[in-house]
Amino acid sequence: MKKLLLLSVIFLSACSTVVPVQQKFPELPEQLTQTCKPLQTIEGKTTTLSNLMEVVAKNYGTRHECAAQLEAILEWYAKQKQIFEQVNSD
Amino acid sequence: MWILSYLPDFVTHIIFTVGVVGTIAGFVLGFIPFIAPYKLPIQIISILVLSFGLYLEGGLADQAVWQLKVKEMEAKVAKAETESQKVNTEVVTKILTKKQVIKEKGDDIVQFIDREIVKYNNICEIPEIVITTHNAAAKNDPTLLKKQIEVPTDLHNQLATPPMILAPKK
Repeated sequence: MKKLLLLSVIFLSACSTVVPVQQKFPELPEQLTQTCKPLQTIEGKTTTLSNLMEVVAKNYGTRHECAAQLEAILEWYAKQKQIFEQVNSD
Repeated sequence: MWILSYLPDFVTHIIFTVGVVGTIAGFVLGFIPFIAPYKLPIQIISILVLSFGLYLEGGLADQAVWQLKVKEMEAKVAKAETESQKVNTEVVTKILTKKQVIKEKGDDIVQFIDREIVKYNNICEIPEIVITTHNAAAKNDPTLLKKQIEVPTDLHNQLATPPMILAPKK
């Protein structure tokens, strides 16, 4: 009787089937993992108007680059999430 | 079902077939003289074998369904990986182009500054406080401004101190 019980338990183990397919969320591309450049400062105690304007303009450029990168990361995440969820929703 | 991974498919079919044949023999062919004496044992064993065979056949069918699902899933994951790679390429190309455009536009502005704003360098003098404020904003550190606000008191104190009274020369 004990053997019969053991046998039935072994056979019942068939009910625990695991699907051997794993879906991984993709890694962020290397180009999007770069951190934003630090803003430039003006060296020295005196400067010219043109130098000041140049540094300001470069800093704005850095800010625009950083914003573009953030937008790209958000776009990448939204699209990858959609693709990832599509696999399980069908 | 682990047992099916050890048993080949044909063994499952053989067990099931033996069970069916045995059951038929035990119940239907009981009137045949050489089967009649073994009727009961054949019936019992056949039913057991048939039950086990049915169980294995069911498991086999279930496994086939699961394998089909796994293949479907694998195909979906592979398709998703391809799409994901495509998105990676699209986004990276887009950001690289955008950064290049930003850099080019920035260079245009710097060129304009070097050409036009330079003319006003002599007219407009930049006080030190402007530089400090700019640097404080760039570093996001307002403590740099406090140093600027501190007024040196040495000169004031020096002037406030009564000077030595020199006695007029006689």
